[in-house]
Amino acid sequence: MELKTVVSRAKRGFREDLRLYLVAVSSLAVAFLCLAGALLAIDNMSVLADQWGTSRRMTVYLRDGAALKDVEELRVLLEGLPGVERAGYVSSAEARRKFLEQADLGGDLAALPADAFPASLEVELLSGVAVQRLEDVSARVARFGVVEDVETYRSWFTQLESLVETGRGVAGALALLVILCALAVVGNTIRLAIAGRRSEIEVMKLCGATDAFVRWPFVVEGAVQGFAAAALALLVLTVSYVALRSDIDATVASFTGVRTVFLHPASLVALLLGGGVMGAIGSVFSVRRYLAI
Amino acid sequence: MAPPSDQDGSNIVRPFAFFRAGARTDPNSPQKPILVLEDVYKYHRPDMPTLRGVNLVVERGEFLFVTGSSGAGKSTLLQLVYRAQTVDEGRILFCGREIDRLTDQSIPFLRRNLGIVFQDFKIVPHWTVFENVAIALEILSMPRRLVRSRVSEALDRVGLAGRGDERTEKLSGGEQQRVAIARAIVTEPALILADEPTGNLDPHLAVDILTLFEEINATGTTVIFATHDHSLISKRNHRIISIEEGRAVEARAGLRGWSGRVQSAAG
Repeated sequence: MELKTVVSRAKRGFREDLRLYLVAVSSLAVAFLCLAGALLAIDNMSVLADQWGTSRRMTVYLRDGAALKDVEELRVLLEGLPGVERAGYVSSAEARRKFLEQADLGGDLAALPADAFPASLEVELLSGVAVQRLEDVSARVARFGVVEDVETYRSWFTQLESLVETGRGVAGALALLVILCALAVVGNTIRLAIAGRRSEIEVMKLCGATDAFVRWPFVVEGAVQGFAAAALALLVLTVSYVALRSDIDATVASFTGVRTVFLHPASLVALLLGGGVMGAIGSVFSVRRYLAI
Repeated sequence: MAPPSDQDGSNIVRPFAFFRAGARTDPNSPQKPILVLEDVYKYHRPDMPTLRGVNLVVERGEFLFVTGSSGAGKSTLLQLVYRAQTVDEGRILFCGREIDRLTDQSIPFLRRNLGIVFQDFKIVPHWTVFENVAIALEILSMPRRLVRSRVSEALDRVGLAGRGDERTEKLSGGEQQRVAIARAIVTEPALILADEPTGNLDPHLAVDILTLFEEINATGTTVIFATHDHSLISKRNHRIISIEEGRAVEARAGLRGWSGRVQSAAG
Protein backbone atom coordinates (compact mmCIF):
# COMPACT_ATOMS: atom_id res chain seq x y z
CA MET A 1 0.00 0.00 0.00
CA GLU A 2 1.25 3.46 -0.89
CA LEU A 3 2.28 5.88 1.83
CA LYS A 4 0.14 8.52 0.16
CA THR A 5 -2.96 6.35 0.55
CA VAL A 6 -2.12 5.62 4.19
CA VAL A 7 -1.68 9.31 4.98
CA SER A 8 -4.80 10.40 3.10
CA ARG A 9 -6.91 7.75 4.88
CA ALA A 10 -5.41 8.73 8.24
CA LYS A 11 -6.25 12.37 7.49
CA ARG A 12 -9.78 11.38 6.65
CA GLY A 13 -9.96 9.53 9.98
CA PHE A 14 -8.84 12.67 11.82
CA ARG A 15 -11.41 14.79 9.98
CA GLU A 16 -14.25 12.43 10.72
CA ASP A 17 -13.49 11.90 14.39
CA LEU A 18 -11.92 15.24 15.21
CA ARG A 19 -13.80 15.69 18.47
CA LEU A 20 -12.98 12.18 19.66
CA TYR A 21 -9.34 12.71 18.78
CA LEU A 22 -9.21 15.97 20.69
CA VAL A 23 -10.61 14.21 23.74
CA ALA A 24 -8.15 11.36 23.24
CA VAL A 25 -5.17 13.71 22.89
CA SER A 26 -6.24 15.58 26.05
CA SER A 27 -6.54 12.34 28.02
CA LEU A 28 -3.20 11.11 26.74
CA ALA A 29 -1.61 14.49 27.48
CA VAL A 30 -2.58 14.14 31.14
CA ALA A 31 -0.90 10.73 31.26
CA PHE A 32 2.21 12.08 29.54
CA LEU A 33 2.25 15.10 31.84
CA CYS A 34 2.43 12.74 34.83
CA LEU A 35 5.21 10.84 33.12
CA ALA A 36 7.15 13.97 32.23
CA GLY A 37 6.65 15.27 35.78
CA ALA A 38 8.04 12.04 37.21
CA LEU A 39 11.04 12.28 34.87
CA LEU A 40 11.58 15.88 35.92
CA ALA A 41 11.59 14.79 39.55
CA ILE A 42 14.09 12.03 38.76
CA ASP A 43 16.36 14.45 36.87
CA ASN A 44 16.37 16.88 39.78
CA MET A 45 16.95 14.08 42.27
CA SER A 46 19.92 13.02 40.18
CA VAL A 47 21.36 16.52 40.14
CA LEU A 48 20.87 16.72 43.89
CA ALA A 49 22.50 13.35 44.42
CA ASP A 50 25.42 14.25 42.19
CA GLN A 51 25.89 17.56 43.93
CA TRP A 52 25.69 16.18 47.45
CA GLY A 53 27.47 13.00 46.61
CA THR A 54 30.52 14.90 45.42
CA SER A 55 30.47 17.60 48.13
CA ARG A 56 33.59 16.87 50.14
CA ARG A 57 34.23 19.58 52.59
CA MET A 58 35.44 19.86 56.10
CA THR A 59 35.19 22.55 58.76
CA VAL A 60 38.05 22.92 61.25
CA TYR A 61 36.74 24.79 64.30
CA LEU A 62 39.43 26.78 66.08
CA ARG A 63 39.85 27.32 69.78
CA ASP A 64 38.92 30.73 71.15
CA GLY A 65 41.90 33.00 71.21
CA ALA A 66 43.94 30.94 68.76
CA ALA A 67 46.84 33.00 67.45
CA LEU A 68 46.37 34.11 63.86
CA LYS A 69 49.93 33.09 63.06
CA ASP A 70 49.25 29.51 64.17
CA VAL A 71 46.02 29.53 62.24
CA GLU A 72 47.78 30.72 59.11
CA GLU A 73 50.42 28.01 59.47
CA LEU A 74 47.69 25.43 59.78
CA ARG A 75 45.91 26.83 56.70
CA VAL A 76 49.07 26.67 54.60
CA LEU A 77 49.71 23.14 55.81
CA LEU A 78 46.21 22.09 54.92
CA GLU A 79 46.45 23.54 51.42
CA GLY A 80 49.63 21.59 50.91
CA LEU A 81 47.96 18.27 51.65
CA PRO A 82 47.11 16.01 48.72
CA GLY A 83 43.39 16.11 47.92
CA VAL A 84 42.84 19.54 49.44
CA GLU A 85 41.79 22.18 46.98
CA ARG A 86 41.47 25.19 49.21
CA ALA A 87 41.42 26.17 52.85
CA GLY A 88 39.96 29.52 53.91
CA TYR A 89 39.83 31.29 57.26
CA VAL A 90 36.41 32.35 58.53
CA SER A 91 36.40 34.65 61.53
CA SER A 92 33.70 34.60 64.24
CA ALA A 93 32.10 37.78 62.87
CA GLU A 94 32.11 36.45 59.34
CA ALA A 95 30.62 33.14 60.49
CA ARG A 96 27.82 35.01 62.27
CA ARG A 97 27.09 37.15 59.22
CA LYS A 98 26.97 34.14 56.91
CA PHE A 99 24.73 32.24 59.26
CA LEU A 100 22.26 35.08 59.49
CA GLU A 101 22.32 35.52 55.68
CA GLN A 102 21.78 31.88 54.85
CA ALA A 103 19.26 31.22 57.55
CA ASP A 104 17.30 34.31 56.56
CA LEU A 105 16.27 34.67 60.19
CA GLY A 106 15.86 37.79 62.18
CA GLY A 107 14.68 38.53 65.67
CA ASP A 108 16.32 36.74 68.57
CA LEU A 109 19.06 34.97 66.62
CA ALA A 110 20.23 38.25 65.14
CA ALA A 111 21.02 39.36 68.66
CA LEU A 112 23.55 36.55 69.17
CA PRO A 113 27.10 37.85 69.74
CA ALA A 114 29.92 36.98 67.39
CA ASP A 115 31.50 34.92 70.19
CA ALA A 116 28.74 32.39 69.77
CA PHE A 117 30.22 31.49 66.36
CA PRO A 118 33.70 29.98 66.56
CA ALA A 119 36.28 30.94 63.98
CA SER A 120 37.07 28.15 61.56
CA LEU A 121 39.00 27.00 58.54
CA GLU A 122 36.71 25.89 55.73
CA VAL A 123 38.49 23.17 53.78
CA GLU A 124 37.36 22.20 50.28
CA LEU A 125 38.64 18.94 48.93
CA LEU A 126 39.11 17.98 45.32
CA SER A 127 36.19 16.15 43.78
CA GLY A 128 36.59 12.40 43.82
CA VAL A 129 38.50 12.36 47.10
CA ALA A 130 37.77 9.10 48.92
CA VAL A 131 35.90 9.17 52.21
CA GLN A 132 38.83 7.41 53.87
CA ARG A 133 41.21 10.18 52.76
CA LEU A 134 38.86 12.73 54.26
CA GLU A 135 38.91 10.85 57.55
CA ASP A 136 42.72 10.68 57.51
CA VAL A 137 43.04 14.41 56.97
CA SER A 138 40.48 15.03 59.69
CA ALA A 139 42.35 12.88 62.24
CA ARG A 140 45.66 14.54 61.42
CA VAL A 141 44.30 18.07 61.72
CA ALA A 142 42.55 17.30 65.02
CA ARG A 143 45.93 16.83 66.69
CA PHE A 144 46.86 20.50 66.27
CA GLY A 145 46.63 22.58 69.44
CA VAL A 146 44.61 25.40 67.86
CA VAL A 147 41.94 22.98 66.71
CA GLU A 148 38.86 22.62 68.86
CA ASP A 149 36.93 20.19 66.64
CA VAL A 150 36.75 18.91 63.06
CA GLU A 151 33.45 18.41 61.25
CA THR A 152 33.53 16.23 58.11
CA TYR A 153 29.73 16.10 57.66
CA ARG A 154 30.14 12.44 56.81
CA SER A 155 27.06 11.20 58.67
CA TRP A 156 25.07 14.14 57.31
CA PHE A 157 26.04 13.33 53.73
CA THR A 158 25.42 9.65 54.26
CA GLN A 159 21.91 10.36 55.43
CA LEU A 160 21.24 12.78 52.60
CA GLU A 161 22.59 10.39 50.02
CA SER A 162 20.39 7.68 51.39
CA LEU A 163 17.42 10.06 51.24
CA VAL A 164 18.21 11.01 47.64
CA GLU A 165 18.58 7.37 46.64
CA THR A 166 15.21 6.61 48.18
CA GLY A 167 13.71 9.57 46.35
CA ARG A 168 15.25 8.36 43.10
CA GLY A 169 13.78 4.93 43.64
CA VAL A 170 10.33 6.33 44.40
CA ALA A 171 10.45 8.61 41.35
CA GLY A 172 11.62 5.68 39.21
CA ALA A 173 8.76 3.47 40.45
CA LEU A 174 6.36 6.33 39.87
CA ALA A 175 7.67 6.75 36.33
CA LEU A 176 7.19 3.04 35.68
CA LEU A 177 3.66 3.21 37.03
CA VAL A 178 2.93 6.26 34.90
CA ILE A 179 4.32 4.51 31.81
CA LEU A 180 1.97 1.58 32.44
CA CYS A 181 -0.95 3.96 33.01
CA ALA A 182 -0.05 5.91 29.88
CA LEU A 183 0.05 2.65 27.88
CA ALA A 184 -3.36 1.67 29.25
CA VAL A 185 -4.82 5.11 28.51
CA VAL A 186 -3.33 5.16 25.02
CA GLY A 187 -4.61 1.65 24.28
CA ASN A 188 -8.10 2.28 25.62
CA THR A 189 -8.47 5.67 23.99
CA ILE A 190 -7.44 4.38 20.61
CA ARG A 191 -9.58 1.28 21.11
CA LEU A 192 -12.57 3.55 21.67
CA ALA A 193 -11.77 5.51 18.53
CA ILE A 194 -11.39 2.33 16.51
CA ALA A 195 -14.54 0.74 17.95
CA GLY A 196 -16.48 3.65 16.50
CA ARG A 197 -15.09 2.82 13.08
CA ARG A 198 -15.45 -0.94 13.06
CA SER A 199 -18.05 -0.71 10.28
CA GLU A 200 -15.35 0.81 8.06
CA ILE A 201 -13.00 -2.01 8.92
CA GLU A 202 -15.67 -4.60 8.17
CA VAL A 203 -16.43 -2.99 4.82
CA MET A 204 -12.77 -2.87 3.88
CA LYS A 205 -12.18 -6.48 4.88
CA LEU A 206 -15.17 -7.65 2.86
CA CYS A 207 -13.87 -5.72 -0.15
CA GLY A 208 -10.58 -7.60 0.06
CA ALA A 209 -8.43 -5.28 2.13
CA THR A 210 -5.36 -6.86 3.65
CA ASP A 211 -4.74 -6.47 7.37
CA ALA A 212 -1.93 -4.04 6.56
CA PHE A 213 -4.25 -1.87 4.45
CA VAL A 214 -6.68 -1.61 7.37
CA ARG A 215 -4.08 -1.32 10.08
CA TRP A 216 -1.59 1.28 8.81
CA PRO A 217 -3.83 4.35 8.74
CA PHE A 218 -4.89 3.57 12.31
CA VAL A 219 -1.24 3.15 13.30
CA VAL A 220 -0.44 6.56 11.77
CA GLU A 221 -3.42 8.10 13.57
CA GLY A 222 -2.33 6.51 16.86
CA ALA A 223 1.25 7.71 16.41
CA VAL A 224 0.11 11.25 15.66
CA GLN A 225 -2.20 11.20 18.68
CA GLY A 226 0.60 9.97 20.93
CA PHE A 227 3.06 12.52 19.57
CA ALA A 228 0.58 15.38 19.85
CA ALA A 229 -0.32 14.36 23.40
CA ALA A 230 3.35 14.20 24.42
CA ALA A 231 4.00 17.60 22.80
CA LEU A 232 1.02 19.10 24.61
CA ALA A 233 2.16 17.62 27.92
CA LEU A 234 5.68 19.00 27.46
CA LEU A 235 4.30 22.41 26.55
CA VAL A 236 2.22 22.47 29.74
CA LEU A 237 5.18 21.24 31.79
CA THR A 238 7.52 23.85 30.27
CA VAL A 239 5.12 26.71 30.88
CA SER A 240 4.50 25.52 34.44
CA TYR A 241 8.23 25.12 35.07
CA VAL A 242 9.05 28.58 33.79
CA ALA A 243 6.25 30.08 35.85
CA LEU A 244 7.15 28.29 39.09
CA ARG A 245 10.90 28.05 38.79
CA SER A 246 11.82 31.19 40.70
CA ASP A 247 9.50 30.27 43.57
CA ILE A 248 10.84 26.73 43.73
CA ASP A 249 14.43 27.88 43.64
CA ALA A 250 13.73 30.42 46.40
CA THR A 251 12.35 27.75 48.71
CA VAL A 252 13.71 24.31 47.89
CA ALA A 253 17.07 25.46 46.61
CA SER A 254 17.78 27.40 49.80
CA PHE A 255 17.59 24.09 51.68
CA THR A 256 19.34 21.91 49.17
CA GLY A 257 21.82 24.36 47.74
CA VAL A 258 20.95 23.07 44.27
CA ARG A 259 18.96 24.93 41.66
CA THR A 260 16.25 23.04 39.79
CA VAL A 261 16.95 21.85 36.26
CA PHE A 262 14.50 21.15 33.41
CA LEU A 263 14.37 17.91 31.44
CA HIS A 264 17.41 17.14 29.33
CA PRO A 265 16.82 17.65 25.58
CA ALA A 266 17.35 13.93 25.08
CA SER A 267 14.52 13.25 27.54
CA LEU A 268 12.29 15.66 25.62
CA VAL A 269 13.01 13.93 22.33
CA ALA A 270 12.54 10.51 23.96
CA LEU A 271 9.17 11.59 25.35
CA LEU A 272 7.96 12.88 21.99
CA LEU A 273 9.13 9.81 20.12
CA GLY A 274 7.92 7.55 22.92
CA GLY A 275 4.49 9.17 22.67
CA GLY A 276 4.37 8.42 18.97
CA VAL A 277 5.57 4.86 19.43
CA MET A 278 3.15 4.19 22.28
CA GLY A 279 0.28 5.54 20.19
CA ALA A 280 1.28 3.36 17.27
CA ILE A 281 1.61 0.25 19.43
CA GLY A 282 -1.74 0.99 21.11
CA SER A 283 -3.34 1.18 17.67
CA VAL A 284 -1.80 -2.09 16.51
CA PHE A 285 -3.24 -3.94 19.50
CA SER A 286 -6.60 -2.17 19.37
CA VAL A 287 -7.22 -2.74 15.69
CA ARG A 288 -6.17 -6.37 15.83
CA ARG A 289 -9.42 -7.53 17.39
CA TYR A 290 -11.47 -6.13 14.50
CA LEU A 291 -9.40 -7.68 11.75
CA ALA A 292 -10.83 -11.19 12.10
CA ILE A 293 -13.65 -10.83 9.59
CA MET B 1 -18.27 -7.77 -18.71
CA ALA B 2 -14.86 -7.51 -20.25
CA PRO B 3 -11.85 -7.78 -18.03
CA PRO B 4 -10.01 -4.49 -17.54
CA SER B 5 -7.36 -3.75 -20.08
CA ASP B 6 -3.98 -2.18 -19.75
CA GLN B 7 -4.83 0.55 -22.24
CA ASP B 8 -4.91 3.21 -19.55
CA GLY B 9 -1.49 2.25 -18.36
CA SER B 10 -2.75 0.37 -15.32
CA ASN B 11 -2.72 -3.37 -14.92
CA ILE B 12 -3.62 -3.31 -11.27
CA VAL B 13 -7.05 -4.94 -11.39
CA ARG B 14 -6.62 -8.62 -12.18
CA PRO B 15 -9.96 -10.39 -11.80
CA PHE B 16 -8.56 -13.82 -12.55
CA ALA B 17 -5.06 -13.51 -11.17
CA PHE B 18 -6.66 -14.15 -7.90
CA PHE B 19 -6.02 -15.24 -4.37
CA ARG B 20 -2.60 -13.79 -4.03
CA ALA B 21 -0.32 -11.41 -5.82
CA GLY B 22 1.84 -13.21 -8.33
CA ALA B 23 -0.39 -16.30 -8.56
CA ARG B 24 -0.44 -17.87 -12.00
CA THR B 25 -3.72 -18.10 -13.79
CA ASP B 26 -4.96 -21.58 -14.59
CA PRO B 27 -5.11 -21.62 -18.43
CA ASN B 28 -8.14 -23.92 -18.28
CA SER B 29 -10.09 -21.75 -15.86
CA PRO B 30 -12.39 -20.17 -18.49
CA GLN B 31 -13.76 -23.64 -19.24
CA LYS B 32 -14.33 -24.58 -15.62
CA PRO B 33 -17.47 -23.79 -13.60
CA ILE B 34 -16.94 -20.65 -11.59
CA LEU B 35 -18.08 -22.24 -8.35
CA VAL B 36 -18.30 -25.83 -7.23
CA LEU B 37 -19.46 -27.10 -3.84
CA GLU B 38 -18.67 -30.76 -3.22
CA ASP B 39 -20.42 -32.55 -0.38
CA VAL B 40 -20.13 -29.52 1.88
CA TYR B 41 -21.01 -29.82 5.55
CA LYS B 42 -21.12 -26.99 8.03
CA TYR B 43 -21.90 -27.60 11.67
CA HIS B 44 -22.89 -24.82 14.02
CA ARG B 45 -24.12 -27.48 16.47
CA PRO B 46 -22.54 -30.92 16.48
CA ASP B 47 -25.85 -32.77 16.26
CA MET B 48 -27.50 -30.48 13.72
CA PRO B 49 -25.48 -29.43 10.67
CA THR B 50 -26.59 -26.19 9.01
CA LEU B 51 -25.48 -27.58 5.67
CA ARG B 52 -25.33 -31.32 5.06
CA GLY B 53 -23.76 -32.69 1.94
CA VAL B 54 -24.41 -29.69 -0.29
CA ASN B 55 -23.41 -30.23 -3.90
CA LEU B 56 -23.68 -27.33 -6.29
CA VAL B 57 -22.16 -26.27 -9.58
CA VAL B 58 -22.48 -22.68 -10.77
CA GLU B 59 -21.49 -22.00 -14.35
CA ARG B 60 -19.92 -18.79 -15.57
CA GLY B 61 -22.38 -16.07 -16.44
CA GLU B 62 -25.22 -17.81 -14.60
CA PHE B 63 -27.87 -16.08 -12.48
CA LEU B 64 -28.75 -18.33 -9.57
CA PHE B 65 -31.37 -17.86 -6.91
CA VAL B 66 -30.65 -19.47 -3.55
CA THR B 67 -33.76 -19.66 -1.45
CA GLY B 68 -34.97 -21.24 1.74
CA SER B 69 -36.66 -20.22 4.93
CA SER B 70 -34.95 -17.92 7.44
CA GLY B 71 -32.14 -19.79 9.15
CA ALA B 72 -32.04 -22.45 6.43
CA GLY B 73 -28.39 -21.77 5.70
CA LYS B 74 -28.43 -19.41 2.70
CA SER B 75 -26.16 -16.88 4.33
CA THR B 76 -23.92 -19.63 5.69
CA LEU B 77 -23.49 -20.98 2.18
CA LEU B 78 -22.45 -17.57 0.87
CA GLN B 79 -20.18 -16.95 3.85
CA LEU B 80 -18.37 -20.19 3.07
CA VAL B 81 -17.71 -18.86 -0.42
CA TYR B 82 -16.18 -15.57 0.75
CA ARG B 83 -14.41 -17.37 3.61
CA ALA B 84 -16.12 -15.62 6.50
CA GLN B 85 -16.61 -19.21 7.65
CA THR B 86 -14.83 -22.43 6.79
CA VAL B 87 -16.35 -25.73 5.72
CA ASP B 88 -16.26 -28.62 8.18
CA GLU B 89 -16.39 -31.31 5.50
CA GLY B 90 -16.25 -31.27 1.73
CA ARG B 91 -14.71 -28.56 -0.40
CA ILE B 92 -15.54 -25.44 -2.34
CA LEU B 93 -13.77 -24.58 -5.57
CA PHE B 94 -13.82 -21.04 -6.93
CA CYS B 95 -12.42 -20.87 -10.45
CA GLY B 96 -10.81 -24.23 -9.77
CA ARG B 97 -9.11 -23.16 -6.54
CA GLU B 98 -10.07 -24.72 -3.25
CA ILE B 99 -11.18 -21.91 -0.99
CA ASP B 100 -10.59 -23.68 2.29
CA ARG B 101 -6.96 -24.30 1.52
CA LEU B 102 -6.27 -20.60 1.25
CA THR B 103 -4.09 -19.09 3.93
CA ASP B 104 -5.42 -16.15 5.93
CA GLN B 105 -3.14 -13.89 3.91
CA SER B 106 -4.76 -15.06 0.67
CA ILE B 107 -8.37 -14.43 1.71
CA PRO B 108 -8.28 -10.71 0.74
CA PHE B 109 -7.21 -11.73 -2.75
CA LEU B 110 -10.15 -14.14 -2.97
CA ARG B 111 -12.54 -11.38 -1.94
CA ARG B 112 -11.15 -9.01 -4.56
CA ASN B 113 -12.61 -11.39 -7.11
CA LEU B 114 -16.02 -11.31 -5.46
CA GLY B 115 -18.64 -8.61 -5.15
CA ILE B 116 -20.63 -9.02 -1.96
CA VAL B 117 -23.96 -7.30 -1.29
CA PHE B 118 -25.78 -7.60 2.03
CA GLN B 119 -29.28 -7.10 3.34
CA ASP B 120 -28.05 -4.38 5.71
CA PHE B 121 -26.02 -2.79 2.88
CA LYS B 122 -22.78 -2.65 4.91
CA ILE B 123 -21.86 0.79 3.74
CA VAL B 124 -20.17 3.45 5.86
CA PRO B 125 -22.93 5.98 6.57
CA HIS B 126 -20.69 9.01 7.18
CA TRP B 127 -18.76 8.52 3.98
CA THR B 128 -19.91 9.99 0.71
CA VAL B 129 -21.34 7.81 -2.03
CA PHE B 130 -18.07 8.19 -3.93
CA GLU B 131 -15.95 7.14 -0.94
CA ASN B 132 -18.09 4.09 -0.30
CA VAL B 133 -17.62 2.86 -3.84
CA ALA B 134 -14.03 4.01 -4.27
CA ILE B 135 -12.79 2.05 -1.27
CA ALA B 136 -12.98 -1.17 -3.29
CA LEU B 137 -10.57 0.33 -5.83
CA GLU B 138 -8.32 2.02 -3.28
CA ILE B 139 -7.73 -1.43 -1.82
CA LEU B 140 -6.34 -2.40 -5.24
CA SER B 141 -4.00 0.64 -5.14
CA MET B 142 -5.59 1.97 -8.30
CA PRO B 143 -4.51 5.48 -9.38
CA ARG B 144 -6.93 8.20 -8.32
CA ARG B 145 -7.71 9.31 -11.84
CA LEU B 146 -8.77 5.80 -12.72
CA VAL B 147 -10.70 5.44 -9.47
CA ARG B 148 -12.72 8.53 -10.32
CA SER B 149 -13.66 7.32 -13.77
CA ARG B 150 -14.47 3.76 -12.64
CA VAL B 151 -16.59 4.94 -9.71
CA SER B 152 -18.42 7.38 -11.96
CA GLU B 153 -19.14 4.55 -14.39
CA ALA B 154 -20.36 2.23 -11.62
CA LEU B 155 -22.66 4.91 -10.17
CA ASP B 156 -24.03 5.52 -13.62
CA ARG B 157 -24.83 1.81 -13.97
CA VAL B 158 -26.77 1.70 -10.68
CA GLY B 159 -28.66 4.91 -11.41
CA LEU B 160 -26.78 7.21 -9.06
CA ALA B 161 -24.91 9.27 -11.64
CA GLY B 162 -23.80 12.66 -10.32
CA ARG B 163 -24.54 11.84 -6.69
CA GLY B 164 -21.05 10.90 -5.61
CA ASP B 165 -20.67 13.83 -3.23
CA GLU B 166 -23.78 13.05 -1.18
CA ARG B 167 -23.38 11.53 2.23
CA THR B 168 -24.66 7.98 2.16
CA GLU B 169 -26.65 8.28 5.39
CA LYS B 170 -28.92 10.81 3.69
CA LEU B 171 -29.95 8.38 0.95
CA SER B 172 -33.06 6.19 0.96
CA GLY B 173 -32.77 2.46 1.63
CA GLY B 174 -33.02 1.60 -2.05
CA GLU B 175 -30.35 4.15 -2.93
CA GLN B 176 -28.06 2.87 -0.20
CA GLN B 177 -28.40 -0.62 -1.61
CA ARG B 178 -27.52 0.75 -5.04
CA VAL B 179 -24.36 2.22 -3.51
CA ALA B 180 -23.52 -1.22 -2.13
CA ILE B 181 -24.13 -2.76 -5.54
CA ALA B 182 -21.95 -0.12 -7.21
CA ARG B 183 -19.18 -1.00 -4.75
CA ALA B 184 -19.64 -4.68 -5.58
CA ILE B 185 -19.40 -4.19 -9.34
CA VAL B 186 -16.81 -1.44 -9.54
CA THR B 187 -13.92 -3.92 -9.44
CA GLU B 188 -15.61 -6.00 -12.16
CA PRO B 189 -15.56 -9.18 -10.11
CA ALA B 190 -16.02 -12.66 -11.47
CA LEU B 191 -18.85 -13.48 -9.09
CA ILE B 192 -21.38 -11.43 -7.16
CA LEU B 193 -22.82 -12.82 -3.94
CA ALA B 194 -26.03 -11.07 -2.91
CA ASP B 195 -27.21 -12.07 0.55
CA GLU B 196 -30.88 -11.04 0.89
CA PRO B 197 -30.15 -7.73 -0.87
CA THR B 198 -33.85 -6.86 -1.03
CA GLY B 199 -34.67 -7.90 2.54
CA ASN B 200 -34.85 -4.32 3.83
CA LEU B 201 -36.63 -2.87 0.81
CA ASP B 202 -40.29 -2.52 -0.12
CA PRO B 203 -41.59 -4.77 -2.96
CA HIS B 204 -41.27 -2.39 -5.91
CA LEU B 205 -37.76 -1.36 -4.87
CA ALA B 206 -36.94 -5.05 -4.50
CA VAL B 207 -37.90 -5.66 -8.11
CA ASP B 208 -35.78 -2.65 -9.19
CA ILE B 209 -32.78 -4.06 -7.37
CA LEU B 210 -33.36 -7.52 -8.82
CA THR B 211 -33.52 -5.97 -12.28
CA LEU B 212 -30.27 -4.18 -11.59
CA PHE B 213 -28.60 -7.49 -10.71
CA GLU B 214 -29.98 -9.00 -13.90
CA GLU B 215 -28.50 -6.15 -15.92
CA ILE B 216 -25.16 -6.81 -14.28
CA ASN B 217 -25.54 -10.51 -15.03
CA ALA B 218 -26.33 -9.67 -18.66
CA THR B 219 -22.82 -8.23 -19.01
CA GLY B 220 -21.35 -11.61 -18.09
CA THR B 221 -20.95 -11.46 -14.34
CA THR B 222 -22.11 -14.52 -12.44
CA VAL B 223 -24.67 -13.66 -9.76
CA ILE B 224 -25.81 -15.74 -6.80
CA PHE B 225 -28.85 -14.08 -5.32
CA ALA B 226 -30.00 -15.41 -1.94
CA THR B 227 -33.54 -14.53 -0.90
CA HIS B 228 -36.42 -16.06 1.00
CA ASP B 229 -38.89 -13.91 -0.96
CA HIS B 230 -40.72 -16.33 -3.25
CA SER B 231 -42.79 -13.54 -4.78
CA LEU B 232 -39.56 -12.08 -6.12
CA ILE B 233 -38.28 -15.42 -7.41
CA SER B 234 -41.57 -16.20 -9.12
CA LYS B 235 -41.23 -13.07 -11.24
CA ARG B 236 -38.13 -14.43 -12.99
CA ASN B 237 -37.11 -17.55 -14.77
CA HIS B 238 -33.66 -18.23 -13.32
CA ARG B 239 -32.30 -21.43 -11.89
CA ILE B 240 -33.24 -21.90 -8.25
CA ILE B 241 -31.51 -23.76 -5.44
CA SER B 242 -33.47 -24.22 -2.27
CA ILE B 243 -31.79 -25.01 1.03
CA GLU B 244 -34.03 -27.42 2.88
CA GLU B 245 -32.98 -29.16 6.06
CA GLY B 246 -29.40 -28.32 5.20
CA ARG B 247 -29.52 -29.88 1.74
CA ALA B 248 -29.49 -28.06 -1.59
CA VAL B 249 -32.36 -29.03 -3.84
CA GLU B 250 -32.99 -27.67 -7.30
CA ALA B 251 -35.88 -26.31 -9.35
CA ARG B 252 -34.23 -25.60 -12.67
CA ALA B 253 -36.91 -23.56 -14.40
CA GLY B 254 -37.76 -21.11 -11.68
CA LEU B 255 -40.97 -21.15 -9.69
CA ARG B 256 -43.34 -20.43 -12.55
CA GLY B 257 -43.55 -24.04 -13.51
CA TRP B 258 -42.51 -25.42 -10.16
CA SER B 259 -45.01 -27.69 -8.50
CA GLY B 260 -43.33 -27.25 -5.16
CA ARG B 261 -41.68 -30.68 -5.24
CA VAL B 262 -37.96 -30.83 -5.40
CA GLN B 263 -36.33 -32.77 -8.19
CA SER B 264 -32.92 -33.86 -7.09
CA ALA B 265 -29.79 -32.76 -5.34
CA ALA B 266 -28.20 -29.87 -7.14
CA GLY B 267 -25.12 -30.23 -9.21
